Amino acid sequence: MEKEKWILPYLFQYRRLFFLSCLLGTLTLLLGGALMFTSGYLISKSATRPESILMVYVPIVGVRAFGLGRAVFSYVERLFSHSFILKILSSLRVKLYKLVEPKAISIQTAFRTGDMLGLLANDIELLQNFYLRTLFPSIVSLTVYTVVIICSGLFSLPFAILLFVLIGQLVFVGPAVSLIIVKKKNLTIKKARNVLYQQFTDGIMGISDWIISGNYPKYIDDYVIQEQALYGMEKKKQTFVNWRDLGSQLVLGISVIASIAWAGGMAENGELSPVFIAAIGLSMISLLESFLPLSDVISETAIYQDSFQRLEMAGSNKHYESNENTAANKSLPADSALLIEMVQLTFGYTQETHLLNHINTSIKPGEKIAVIGRSGSGKSTLLKLIQGYLPPLSGEVRINGQNVVDLRPEMAKWISVLNQKAYLFNTSIMNNIRLGNPNASDEEVRKVCKLVQLDEMIIQLPNGYETNMQETGQRFSGGERQRVALARILLQNTPIVLLDEPTVGLDPITEVKLLKTIFETLKDKTIIWVTHHLAGVECMDRILFLDRGVISMEGSHRFLMETEEKYRRLYHLDHPFEA
Amino acid sequence: MDRALFTLNGIKPVLWKLGSLTVLQSVMIILQAYALAEAISSLFRGDLLPTVMDELAIYLCALLFRQLLAVLKKNIAFHFAAQTSESLRKSLVQKLFHLGPQYVREAGTGQTVTLVMDGLLKFRRYIELIIVKTMNMSIIPTAIIVYSFWFHTRSAIILLAVMPILIVFMILLGLAARSKADRQFHTYQLLANHFVDSLRGLETLKYLGLSKQHVKNIKKVSENYRSATISTLKIAFLSTFALDFFTMLSIATVAVFLGLGLIDGAIPLPTALTILILAPEYFLPVREFGADYHATLDGKNAGEKISAILTETALLPSKEELPIWTPSCELSLHGLNVQYSENHHAGLKDIEFFIKGSKRIGIIGASGAGKSTLINLLSGFISPLSGEFQLNEKKLSSLSFHDWQKQITYIPQNPYIFNDTMINNIRFYEPTATEWEVKEAIKHAGLLEVVQSLPEGMETLIGEGGRTLSGGQEQRIAIARAFLGRRPIILLDEPTAHLDIETEAELKETMLKLFSGKLVFFATHRIHWMREMDEIIVLDNGQIVETGTHQQLMEQKSAYYRLVQAQKGEF
Repeated sequence: MEKEKWILPYLFQYRRLFFLSCLLGTLTLLLGGALMFTSGYLISKSATRPESILMVYVPIVGVRAFGLGRAVFSYVERLFSHSFILKILSSLRVKLYKLVEPKAISIQTAFRTGDMLGLLANDIELLQNFYLRTLFPSIVSLTVYTVVIICSGLFSLPFAILLFVLIGQLVFVGPAVSLIIVKKKNLTIKKARNVLYQQFTDGIMGISDWIISGNYPKYIDDYVIQEQALYGMEKKKQTFVNWRDLGSQLVLGISVIASIAWAGGMAENGELSPVFIAAIGLSMISLLESFLPLSDVISETAIYQDSFQRLEMAGSNKHYESNENTAANKSLPADSALLIEMVQLTFGYTQETHLLNHINTSIKPGEKIAVIGRSGSGKSTLLKLIQGYLPPLSGEVRINGQNVVDLRPEMAKWISVLNQKAYLFNTSIMNNIRLGNPNASDEEVRKVCKLVQLDEMIIQLPNGYETNMQETGQRFSGGERQRVALARILLQNTPIVLLDEPTVGLDPITEVKLLKTIFETLKDKTIIWVTHHLAGVECMDRILFLDRGVISMEGSHRFLMETEEKYRRLYHLDHPFEA
Repeated sequence: MDRALFTLNGIKPVLWKLGSLTVLQSVMIILQAYALAEAISSLFRGDLLPTVMDELAIYLCALLFRQLLAVLKKNIAFHFAAQTSESLRKSLVQKLFHLGPQYVREAGTGQTVTLVMDGLLKFRRYIELIIVKTMNMSIIPTAIIVYSFWFHTRSAIILLAVMPILIVFMILLGLAARSKADRQFHTYQLLANHFVDSLRGLETLKYLGLSKQHVKNIKKVSENYRSATISTLKIAFLSTFALDFFTMLSIATVAVFLGLGLIDGAIPLPTALTILILAPEYFLPVREFGADYHATLDGKNAGEKISAILTETALLPSKEELPIWTPSCELSLHGLNVQYSENHHAGLKDIEFFIKGSKRIGIIGASGAGKSTLINLLSGFISPLSGEFQLNEKKLSSLSFHDWQKQITYIPQNPYIFNDTMINNIRFYEPTATEWEVKEAIKHAGLLEVVQSLPEGMETLIGEGGRTLSGGQEQRIAIARAFLGRRPIILLDEPTAHLDIETEAELKETMLKLFSGKLVFFATHRIHWMREMDEIIVLDNGQIVETGTHQQLMEQKSAYYRLVQAQKGEF
């Protein structure tokens, strides 16, 4: 069922390549058989001591032609099938991207969004193995099977039926039994491995605690014992596989004997020249061997199950989705001063539990707001609501009187975001910053880099602005990476900037410096800054405290210092040695 | 075969066993071919089916026996590989615990787990496959050549001559493919990672308003990747082509020469047929050797990584007895130096200080000054390059002692919450603690409200697979552990850096309660804690630049004062 979406449409879309790959694969196997057939014929014919070598000239040419043909076909087949799969992969990537793009911001998972999406990307890569290792070999084997049965049927129906049954053991029975037994075993092993994986990760993550508790030798012993239990399961599977393979070989032997016996019988009755006995026997060996790996191929499909499931999940609508088609696609006049209003804004992931409750406030153009609250108090959610990426349960956010939900498609024109750990792409610094405004000239990029005080550092790098961001990840500190992201936002040049704890994880001195740069460079813009402590709040026009979904304190720094005891106490924690 | 394999414990008898079984297997292969050839030849001469029943039976028995031998060999290899990996696993995990958290953090937790779980599995597969394949490749073709030499020298010469040509071609083409891939490596990496990169950065793209149009880039890059890959594959597949080509060509040639021999009457039909049947068998081990080359390569690399870890020098915690820390105890550090081979973290230089009794020591400094290193040194996770500790009268080269670590509570920035119940998490250090004792600890740590809100109270699963706790709640679990353990020494490494200000304010009260009557080392950026410290150690660039109380240090207007000023900032 799930396979239909990720496989069938593509088989159809690239049916020519698919057909060609299967055809070439089949021909490769058949040519291998033909080579042995001709060789057998050649030898038998020669054994009749023909007067001239010319009598066996045709088989001599045939042997060479089939031999070379096989090598060439197999080479071409591999290229075609890879080209096919790479084309599918291209389409799958686009499909996955289009599926997750609308929900990028609202995806709710235990993982961090980026990790989850990275996992999906790997799933797509894994699908190529499904095509190359399972789908193609199965189809090719089935085709060769059909050809062999039809060919033998041309001579004798009973023999064809016998082969149908015998080879059927290799093509249907073996794989089916394996699928049931090995797949089940594989699943148990996988489950046990996952449990062990978690346990071991748990141990390594808590390594300091284990060492200090002094109990770690016991932990190691437990772990090793569990691994041994797992080994026991693998051994059972191995035993089954061994006996199954032995059985397949037995079937192969019997089929070869049956073919020779049949050919011998036919020769005896004069229905077949005796020179064909060796030919048939040898070609059978070659063809039958190609069916042997089938059981393995089919039973290993359990590996792909997780990937299919995850991809299916990504495609489903279970996630919170901000369907952009419902947006009215309204716009705001350029260069206008933007007024943000939150009216009775209420949000929760379920109707019962509200993360934010009837928030009312408005933010004037150019106003600087700090939002403070505990983790889980809904600070980041508030930012997403302001951008219209989450639908409020009731109430609304308006910019200049327009509901933000309707502005969503063009939101990047009005609002930009600086995150906790801004994502920097695996490309040059220049390209990373230019993402803020793809039309910006090199000069403009340099200008914003000067503003965020990165220019000097960048031009000292061996490749300057062309230095790759990821490669030199070691060279860029957390503060510098945030500055690159800030430069990008400066290029984006929106009237409103949302800052979502941009200094978290930085040491206090770096934090103070970065905040200074941020406030200096964004002084003309509306700022909504989510923060978890009070360094730098003096520069804000207004500070909002969020507590259990409502605004618990609100006002300027000076006002709060004068009126709120709690605020004074918190402020002194951050500024312990000031009056 | 990889030389390192020969150093594996007990591999020699295994190789001997496999070798003799393979010789026996070669005999079966030849017998199988011979019996089949005999049967076909006599049918060809016009004998009736019943007369060849013996030969056919021998054929089938030889075939079965050959496969049984294969199973036996597989089992021997499987068993040996499993044994090897089991013993490696145990020493590897032990080594990791001896190397300590510092090492694991640097190597990356995820990578370490993957190496132990997946890497060892790959290495096991590698041993399992490689020993059998190597045996097959060295014995079976040889046996077939010897047999052919005996009966038809020409065929043997053809087969023998093709092998080196084939191997040389495969190597040459493999090298060509690799050099092409190497040349394109950079582009490749960019292209291959582009999609992952795009998905990971999707949120950012969306904020930048670029996510819609980015589809075009994905299409374009995917297509470029496809053509680049195909052009490399064209060369890479040539090596398999060469294998196929030479195999097929030599089988064809052998067939022709056998045919000519038969026409001349130089050899009898059964012999010719036997050699023809054996020809593909001759090449089979080589083909198998080349198959799942990448799997074996992965396994080999994993093996190398594992032995690299095993050769690291680690600190073995000493079981020697040390006194319990009491208010009259003294600890001094003399000229301690710590140096990291890779300069990711600052080391320590000439660390010198003296403590007596239960004091609160603040450790402060800019990031990279060596605060965490000092805490790691004090907890016995790492040992100094030079210098020594002195505990009362006893001189020690490190603090990696069971008796020392038993006295420590260690609270890092993100205390690890085990995937277990709340109660078991809290009594991690004291598995025998009673429920009542845990409840007391919960009360002291200010967790009572949290526990009451949980569906199953203290029995609720927390951690990775259970209920997730906030950063502040995780810190409180660590504090509860400390209350329960009543250990006399507490080491803290940035315990509040990532917490919001309100949570930190609440935690501060609880923590101060915990500190009373204990020896506390508190490394942090957050200066407000320094007021509560009896002594402050100011680190800069791995060196102690100042010590004293907050008051003293502020008056000195030196490093500490500058640090306070810098953090204040002037907005």
